[in-house]
Amino acid sequence: MKIKKAAGSIAFFAGLIILWQFLYVAATDWFEWAKPYAIPHPAGVWESIISLVTSGTLQAAIGSSMVRVLIGFFIAIIIGVIFGILIVNSDYLARNLKPLILGIQTLPSICWVPFAILWFGLAESAIIFVVVMGSAFSISLAVESGIKSVPPIYIKAAKTMGVSQKKLYLHVIFPAALPSFVAGLKQGWSFAWRALMSGEVMSASLGLGYTLMVGRDLADINQVMTIMLVIIFIGIIIDKGVFTTLENHILRKRGLL
Amino acid sequence: MFLKLNSINKTFTNTDKETLQDISLEVEKGEFICIVGPSGCGKSTLLNLVAGLDTPTSGEIILDGQQVTGPGPDRIVMFQEAALYPWLNVIENVMFGLDAAGHTKKEQLEIAEKYLRMVQLWHYRDYPIHQISGGMKQRTALARSLALDSKLLLMDEPFSALDKQTINILRAELEEIWEKNRKTILYITHSVEEAIYFADRVVVMAENPGRIKEIIPIRLERPRNIEGTEFTSLRKRILDQVQLSARKSMEVEFDKEEEK
Repeated sequence: MKIKKAAGSIAFFAGLIILWQFLYVAATDWFEWAKPYAIPHPAGVWESIISLVTSGTLQAAIGSSMVRVLIGFFIAIIIGVIFGILIVNSDYLARNLKPLILGIQTLPSICWVPFAILWFGLAESAIIFVVVMGSAFSISLAVESGIKSVPPIYIKAAKTMGVSQKKLYLHVIFPAALPSFVAGLKQGWSFAWRALMSGEVMSASLGLGYTLMVGRDLADINQVMTIMLVIIFIGIIIDKGVFTTLENHILRKRGLL
Repeated sequence: MFLKLNSINKTFTNTDKETLQDISLEVEKGEFICIVGPSGCGKSTLLNLVAGLDTPTSGEIILDGQQVTGPGPDRIVMFQEAALYPWLNVIENVMFGLDAAGHTKKEQLEIAEKYLRMVQLWHYRDYPIHQISGGMKQRTALARSLALDSKLLLMDEPFSALDKQTINILRAELEEIWEKNRKTILYITHSVEEAIYFADRVVVMAENPGRIKEIIPIRLERPRNIEGTEFTSLRKRILDQVQLSARKSMEVEFDKEEEK
């Protein structure tokens, strides 16, 4: 069964590549809708991957992008948790701050780029700022809804057992809200990853976004495509490999899966 | 007096209806008190007040010379749902409260073992909560409550969500445990049978507003035989009392299994 599924997946992606090649040939050769340099093709992307890997550019770009996004994501988690807890504990903030956060969350992160450049210059911190602004708010909303969804009976039981406020948060509310937290982090991660690209294409320091822009500047559409594929690939790996695995582990342990 | 409820009144702010009216009750140390009444008579509200999870509109609750102002480990509550933490296994759940009470890890393990053996769950100590039955969950909750050795144990229909067979087993177990450690228990139930089975005194409540209608001492010898003639006549008497106070529409809902 497993082999059959794997074979199906391979066939799917092989088919996709064949279709891609077919469309490339059709568009550039048969009908001449577009110039060959405007459309990426599988062989060109493969060459691009090889040259980016052998020169070490791709590894370096992935490395510095990951460092940035991890720093930004970490800061966003801290800010998100603080805001989330504040909103849960205050009706006033829930009424006034929460709608504002909901609004800011819908703001595309590229809107923060002008601020980032004005405040931090074309520096590392500017990109991290964009990542933080792009993901902190969605995390704070996830934290808030996670805490709110904790069954009141868990808290009641803890209180009658004389649990301190600190222990109540660390050992009851946090673990009870953990499944929603992780779901929120997963969403926050995808926001952070997108925000990172908004920041990186604007700046001039090494990274995936910058390598993509270099491809544009050199009119190398295959390099642009390569970087896009890498961005998609990393997105999938982190989402499935880290967050979904973590989520499933937590749910399975509690018999919810 | 060990526990003293001094003319408790409770009116919730969102409704102007008086939920509890002038509740006064004195309980001696080691007494098993069952509070029985139709749904909506405020018996769970009363338990929440004693637990300190809610505050009375007027009146005071005094336990062992101290006024109740909030929840605390001297008054453990056992809820209708087990309220166990699904991220902890059976023994960790029992140890949870002990940790809060400041016991060392070693003491926690010793105490948890003692009470898990008491409720016959020692064998299941490492089981995750979702893998044990409803009856075992309530036994775990009972072990957790007993382990804290509180002055007062408050039980809010702890067996009502279980099936009949399990209820019978757990009743007998609780009775046996209580005979040994003589904890002061305030036990809320809608089952008159259960009340007579356990109680030194049955407090019958009436509704609209929630008030104490009668306090009936039960002097039958323990363990009580629910099929005995004295038991059944007592049950009939209390059931009549309760039903008299219940609205006609409530009668259907009330004590279903005993009506059959």
